[in-house]
This record gives sequence, structure tokens and C-alpha cells, in this order.
Amino acid sequence: MLRTLARLRIWLVVKLVWSSRRRLAEAVRGFQATEADGVWHLHRGMRRVTDPKQRAILFTHSLEEESHADEFGRVYSAYADRIASPLAYERADLHPSSAALWKTVAYVHVGEEDATSRFRDLRDALDEGPLRQALARIVADESTHVDLTHDMLLAMGAREHEVRREVVRVRLARLWERWLRSGKRIVDALATLLLSAAYLTIGVFLSWPARRRLASRVVEYDNNRLKRLG
Amino acid sequence: MRVLGVSYGYHDSSACLVIDGEVVAAAAEERFTRQKHDANFPTYAIAHCLAQGGVSTQQLDQVVFHEDPHAKFSRVLCAALAPFPRSRREFVNSTKAWLGRKLWSLGSLSARLDVGADKVSYLSHHFSHAVQAFLGSGHDEAAILVVDAVGDWACSALYSGRWENGTPHIERVLEIAYPNSLGLVYSAFTAYLGFSPNDSECSTMALAAFGRPSYADEVREIVRAADDTSYEVDQSYFNFAEFYRGPVTDRFVAAFGPPRDFRERLPFDCLAGAEISPEAQRFADIAASVQVVLEERVLALCHTLHAKVPSKHLCYAGGVSLNCVANQRILADGPFETVYIPPDPGDGGTSVGAALYVSALASCGAPESMRYGAYLGAAFDPTDDIAMLDHVDPEHVRRYLKHGVDRPAGTRWRHRTHDDVGALCEDVTRRLMGRQIVGWYQGRAEIGPRALGNRSIVVRPDDRELATRLSRHVKDRAPFRPYALSIRAEDAGSMLEGDDAALAHYRWMQFAAPVRAEVRERVAAGLHVDGTTRPQVCRAEDNPTWHALLGTFGAAFGVPALLNTSFNPAGYPIVSTPSEALAMFARTDMDALVLERTVVWKE
Repeated sequence: MLRTLARLRIWLVVKLVWSSRRRLAEAVRGFQATEADGVWHLHRGMRRVTDPKQRAILFTHSLEEESHADEFGRVYSAYADRIASPLAYERADLHPSSAALWKTVAYVHVGEEDATSRFRDLRDALDEGPLRQALARIVADESTHVDLTHDMLLAMGAREHEVRREVVRVRLARLWERWLRSGKRIVDALATLLLSAAYLTIGVFLSWPARRRLASRVVEYDNNRLKRLG
Repeated sequence: MRVLGVSYGYHDSSACLVIDGEVVAAAAEERFTRQKHDANFPTYAIAHCLAQGGVSTQQLDQVVFHEDPHAKFSRVLCAALAPFPRSRREFVNSTKAWLGRKLWSLGSLSARLDVGADKVSYLSHHFSHAVQAFLGSGHDEAAILVVDAVGDWACSALYSGRWENGTPHIERVLEIAYPNSLGLVYSAFTAYLGFSPNDSECSTMALAAFGRPSYADEVREIVRAADDTSYEVDQSYFNFAEFYRGPVTDRFVAAFGPPRDFRERLPFDCLAGAEISPEAQRFADIAASVQVVLEERVLALCHTLHAKVPSKHLCYAGGVSLNCVANQRILADGPFETVYIPPDPGDGGTSVGAALYVSALASCGAPESMRYGAYLGAAFDPTDDIAMLDHVDPEHVRRYLKHGVDRPAGTRWRHRTHDDVGALCEDVTRRLMGRQIVGWYQGRAEIGPRALGNRSIVVRPDDRELATRLSRHVKDRAPFRPYALSIRAEDAGSMLEGDDAALAHYRWMQFAAPVRAEVRERVAAGLHVDGTTRPQVCRAEDNPTWHALLGTFGAAFGVPALLNTSFNPAGYPIVSTPSEALAMFARTDMDALVLERTVVWKE
């Protein structure tokens, strides 16, 4: 039931929201950023792994994710009407450095599972084009990553029941993040309404002093000294 | 006294730690997050600085921010309200961003670092640039010029600087206010030419060498000379308030023609002739025109400044000071005998300026002791990465090579560790002479956008085909962008035109210097079409290992110069860790990679 709803949601997004090429391009830019974020986490994780075999697995995985980010970058160029830098997220480690590394891998594992099903649904809903072609290649990789990360979790000393428990915890955390993002969107929409109303009611009165201020060609006030916050 | 300088919020977030007047560490956040020009809070750059200095946030005496958020917010509001009623979207977006986050940067800094508000201070953006240039120069007195896109309110600023009784005194001569911005004009032309603004201004500068300034009069009309020998910008051509949605107006397009589609390839090539269409030539001519006018206006600012501050020395910073062609013009035609540009003169360097200034005010430092070099970033031990190599399957990696790169099946990776620098340099020289592309990773990363021998990719400088391979299959770089040369200080006179005073300026690749005619053919791959290069002149005390490589290669090659470019693929910052360097080695057509004393190669 949940899967069907998820598929329906993706189908609606593809057919309605992404009918605008600009929005489609922005979505692809988001995919690129997500893949690049994964690369960054893998490189951060590698620095905590001393076992050369495990390190090599993470390294190879990072190369695959990096090639996906590049692929999405090329797809963005095909759809976009202007050049834009990749999106930049505020990076943050998933766990403190004192936590077991396999917990980070569990996070990556859940991310791979979600990405595989989402990209697969997107691929099925899309018409023929650069994004569909890219997704066809990427889905094949992502599905092998699901098994790979699961094997890595066990190789890193995590027991099966610990893995299951951590996966549930990560899923709950991701749900919470999604809830927060939805909340932010609602606040954002309300703020847009409020600020638009403010602009339309008082903007006319403030625009004149703003123009006057901008007409001054030199900076008159003295701002060249150290100031303190407290 | 321990002072942490911090900059973030627009682009090139960074941090710098100054202890008792000496810069201990500095780095841009992008080097840790792999996001070019990262504007987010510099969590990792701060962590690097604190670790390098061996201090905790609780041990900091001062934390200083690089700009005045309140002044900047007033400017952003004015810019968004002035075009009423056409600016609702800009007003809403910028007000949301500012009220939601940016306006509270100082409080956020205090909270995130867990330092009391009494320890947090701030300077205006251009003042941070000014002190960065002046205090880093080591001069007792100087004229100071800052030319940038925009800071709080100022876009260009002129100052005088002097040390008196152990304290620096910096006084304003003139500050030119937003929207009269040379940096924004140049960025707007950059966007119009199909390059990414606030990133690829170097592409506009590189393209300019292929054009004639046939539109210069039109650009001069837009960026007019003003009565006080500065300039003013005709705003009817620009839409700075909504820069990222489209920085130029219909009037601009009517004057210069339709903009370039960023997907269309420009046929210009530094290394080979090409058939040029009239449309492509139009874009090169426009680039040449805006470049010439930029140089004229900056030069006029220099003369204005010199008339009011008749010093021998100019200290120059701000984003526009990354324009090495304009910098050379200042050096050659300007009124100053010396021109000092810090190693990271863009916004990433403002954290250095802010921290140095607070330190200097507390009498912790003197002109000489506040000088700093370029190698202030993070260092990483590659031992574990090298141990991993035997477990990586190059055949599997072949499936994930960069677009357009091909490597024959059966390629193996090998590695060898040398005991000493001499043997390492001999090995690398042999590879370079054998026309290999070599990545070179050593010690602490450089600050600023230039690779100065610790995160570099090097090839022999005479082979145009090799440089083309480097552009296509390693760097993914437009062929009209030139490479640069690295030269030992003792060899600079035989390679570059100019006297010793001029050659002393070329430490950090900030000037487009003319190369001597008699050696041009031998270093053709490292030159622009006009016979210039952006040289790094390396002294042994700056970087002994790099200096040794330059010496060994120069002896074998017969001409003491090495083609040196930054160690990053297109769209990414310069690599920071050995694993990032290995990733680029793995996915591109790089032949060998040096990680400290170990050489890794494909066979």
C-alpha cells in the first residue's frame, strides 16, 4: 500500500511538477548534490578505517557515487536554461567520531535502499530522455550498493540484530528529518505570504528612501573600526 | 593572545587562527566539504585551525567576524525595495534569508563556538580586506586598495595604512558604494558570456586574450569615469538585485547582442589554431572590452589613491585582485613601486585580515612578524591510503572513469616509496620527461585558489598535445584557458621579462607576466596566446620539496620551468585529503600520483 502511494506520488511529481524543464533541472541538481554528499561521507568514513580491504571497498564505492554525481551534472546541463553551480548543503558528520563506524555505514545503507527504490520509480515514470537514461545506469549500481553496504556492516563487526535495530533507528531519524523539512516548507510558504503582503502594503513608502540611499555614490558613514557584539 | 577570524554567509567561508600575532592556520571551508566556494558555517575549517594551534574554543581570547551583518542587511533591503513594484520576489527571498539566518551571524558564531558574546567582534567587509592586505605585507606604511563585488555597502575602497607606536592605523580615503561595483559588472559580463558568475571570471579574463576591445566604448559608457577620478555604473544595463536570475537587462542585450548559451563550445584554443565563427569572435571581443575597461578603471583608482597617499607601496585585495592581467597592468603602468597582493585576496582571506587586525590592536605583532605564507591549510598522512591501493581493483574502477576518459583493460596500479626527496624528484622527473601527467600532493594545503606546489598537477611545458590531454581528460577544462609555469626564484630572470623588483612580485601566481621570447617555444604549453604566463616564482625557503623538484626537472629538461595547474577536477575545489587525490587519479587520465614520498602509477 505504502509502495503504491509512493509510486503514485512520484508519478504525479513527474507528470505535473516536472512538466516545467526548470523545475526538472532543479530536481536533477538536487540529485547531484545528494550523490556528492554521499561521496563526502564515504571519504570522511574512510579516514576512520585502518583495515586496507575495508578502506578499499569504501573508496571504490565513493568513485561510483562520484560518477553518479557527474552523470546528474551532465543531465542538469541538458535541461537547464542557465549555468549554475552544484547545490551546497551544510555538511555535518552523521555521528561523533567516538561512535562505531558501522553506524555511519548503516546510514549509507538506508540511503542506498531509498535511492534505489526512488530512482527506479522515477525511471519507470519518466518519458525517454537524458534523465531516464542516466537513471537506468544508476539504479543498477545503487541496487548492488544495497548488498555491498549490508555486507560491510557485518564485516565491520556489527551483528545482524544490531544492524536491524540501527536501520530502524536511521529510518525513524530520516522520517523525522522529512517531517522537519515539511514543517520548514510550511513556514516558508507562510513567510512568503506575510512578506509579500508587507511588500505590497509598505514597500511603496520604503522604496523612495531606498532609492535615495542607493543614489549615493560614496559610503558616508564610518564603518572602519572594530565593533563588539557584547 | 589567540584570535580566531571567521568569514561565512556569501561565498568562500573560511577560518584563521592567529596566536600572538602569527598566522598559525587558515583554510577555506570548501577544502573540507568538497563544495566549491562553500558559503556555509566553516565548521571544519575552524576545527582545522584549532587543532593546528592546539587550542580549544574556550581558550580563544577573541573571535572576529569579517563583516558587519547589520550594515549588509540594510544594503540588501535597499537593493530589494528600490525597484518597487518589480522586486517582490527579491524582497521576499532576501528578507527570508536574512531574518531567518544571516542577520544573526554574530550570535550564531557565539553559540556554535560556545564563546561569550563579549569575546565576539566584527569589522566591515572591505576593512577586513584592507587589513588583510596591509598587515600581511610587512610594510610600515602603504596605500591600500580593495576592489570587490560588494561587501557591506562598499564595492571599492581606498585607504592609507601605517604603523605607529606598535599599532596599525588605517584611514579611509574613499569608499564607492553599491551598486557601483566593478566586480559585479565583471561578473554580469561573465554570466552573459555563459560562464558561472562568482566562479568563472577567470574564463572571461582568459577569453579576452582572443578578442579585440571593439566594444570598449560601449563598456566605458556603462562604467563611466566620475569627477573624483573614480567611476560610476549605469544601472539601466544591470539587474544586480536579482543577479542569479539574470544580471543583465534588455538594454544590455540590445547593446551587445544575445547572450551565449553556456552549452555551446567556444572554439578558441591556447595550444592550437582553430576556425572562429563571427559569433564566437563577438563574445571574445566583448570579453576583451570589459577586461580593458576594468583595467582602466582600476588603474584610475590607483592614481587617485596615489595622489592622496603618495606611498611607494600598494597593498591590494578583494575579488577583483584575482584578475592577474589587470594586476600586471597595475604593476607595469601604475604609480606604485611595489604591489602586494595576499595569497588569498578574495573573501576567503577576510578571516585572516580580521584575526590579524584584532591581534595587532592588542600590540601582539609588528609589521615584519605578521607576514604570512600560503601553506596554512590542512595536512593528512597518506599511509593508510597507500596501504589500501593493493586492494582496489582497477578493472572495476574502469567502469566509473570520468566522461570521455578511456584506459586500456588490464591497467594495474603500482606504488613505490622513496627514502629521500632527491630520489623522489629523480623519479618524478623521469616520468615528466616521459610525457606523463603527474599529480603532486605534499604537506599542508595552500590557502587561496592557486596550487603552489602542494596540491598540483604537473607536466612538461613544451608538449601541446600533452596539455590538451590534460585539459580534456584530467581537468575537464576549456581549451582557451591557459596553464601556468612554476619557476625557481634563481631562474626567474632567465624565463621572465622584467627586473628583479618586478620578479619579486611573482610568488603566488597573481600577475600575467611576459615570458622571454627566446624560451617561449620551449614552454609553449604553459603560455597564453599573448605570450604571458601566470608564474609562481618559488624560493627554497617557501617550499623546499617543490623547489627541489623544479631544480631536478629544470636540469633534465634544459629550461627551468614546469607546467603547474591546480589539483582539482572541474566544478570541485582543490583536493584536500590523499583519498580525494587518489579518486581523481583513479577516474581521470592522470598517469602518476605522488603522495608525500610515495609514487603511485598506472601500468
